[in-house]
Amino acid sequence: MDSDDNIEKIIGEIDGQGPSPEDIEHDPRRKALAGIARMMREATAPEPPADLGERVMDRIRSYRPTPWRALREALLRPCTVSFDPIRALRAPVTGQECSFYFIMVGIFYAVLGTILLAGLHGLGAYPGAPDWVRWQPPIAIVTAGCMVAVGLYLLKDVKSALRAARIWALVYLGFALLNGVFVPLEWNVPVSAYVSLVSTLIGLPTGFFLIRTIQNCGKRYV
Amino acid sequence: MKQIDEADIIGRVLGGDREAFADLVEAYKGPVFRLAFRMTGSAQDADDLSQQIFLRAFETLGRFRRGERFFPWLYTVALNVIRSHLRRSKALPEAGTGHGAPEAEDPRGNPADAAAGRERSRRIQGYLLRLNPSVREILVLRFYEGMSFEDIAGLTGNTPGGVKMKAYRGLEKIRVMMEKDGFADDEARR
Repeated sequence: MDSDDNIEKIIGEIDGQGPSPEDIEHDPRRKALAGIARMMREATAPEPPADLGERVMDRIRSYRPTPWRALREALLRPCTVSFDPIRALRAPVTGQECSFYFIMVGIFYAVLGTILLAGLHGLGAYPGAPDWVRWQPPIAIVTAGCMVAVGLYLLKDVKSALRAARIWALVYLGFALLNGVFVPLEWNVPVSAYVSLVSTLIGLPTGFFLIRTIQNCGKRYV
Repeated sequence: MKQIDEADIIGRVLGGDREAFADLVEAYKGPVFRLAFRMTGSAQDADDLSQQIFLRAFETLGRFRRGERFFPWLYTVALNVIRSHLRRSKALPEAGTGHGAPEAEDPRGNPADAAAGRERSRRIQGYLLRLNPSVREILVLRFYEGMSFEDIAGLTGNTPGGVKMKAYRGLEKIRVMMEKDGFADDEARR
């Protein structure tokens, strides 16, 4: 078996580098390898059928992506997003950047919802727990879903998604405020203060940030 | 091949102008068809695969990064489609004979030389099809398509050293097969 160095040398010879053909004349094996490579290089190329291009274009004209394929391609599309929330509050941002913030908030609520779901598991047995508190995990998860959906919509078609995103951000802001007030009223235990705090301290700045980002995004696309 | 502004065409296609894709098909149908033909040995399969490759390229064009070269990207798509086809069909080596595709005009003036050249091409194609597809694609890209080992390494996910090793092993296997068939002495050592 040839060593790596020898293989490198043989490949170099086959590629026309290194020793001349006369130098490998004495080695039938190396000469045969060079001969095979030469035969491949000299092989005549098959031609594609004349109507291949037209048939390809017929398929492309009638191509309709499935919703799954369209979603997959939208997610896999390369995009450059600059993560600069301070700038997003002051200057126009791109639709991709705006979408990124919505998706990030969505991921945050998905994690929060999962933690709440695990933490409040079995709370149904707690005599004082009202329905509104038990609904907190699903509320967080639904918020996550809506945030991600709006983010994807922005990614797909920013111009038509801006209005929906603005409405959703206002609904989110109002709901965060309502939730922050409603939980301690419903359930007078220390944990309710925690839920209220999380909802208000995270919800209000996030809501204002998203609304401001959408406004700045709108300036760019008007 | 006429000069085309690939970035402009891709921008137009992504903007919804499907007809603009025809320029890319026209420019690259030859290399794509040849690659598929060399990998499968069947003109019918090469025809079907070429259509699939362009359709896949159209579907996934959004993933193409601006500033990249289009041709290597298209080759990556092509190799993926061809590999899936080979896995699915478990294409038998003996199925490919190299027949069925119209050959380009042979530059050798003498008809006897041209016929001998075609016969050699078919034989080599037959041996090529008996190789493992991962080795076959390297030999095709290097010796038929004339790509550099570095470019092949980028396309196939190997290192340049690994590509050279596979190319060597592929050639060596073909040499052994030719020797067994008594073909090596009279042809390869010309």
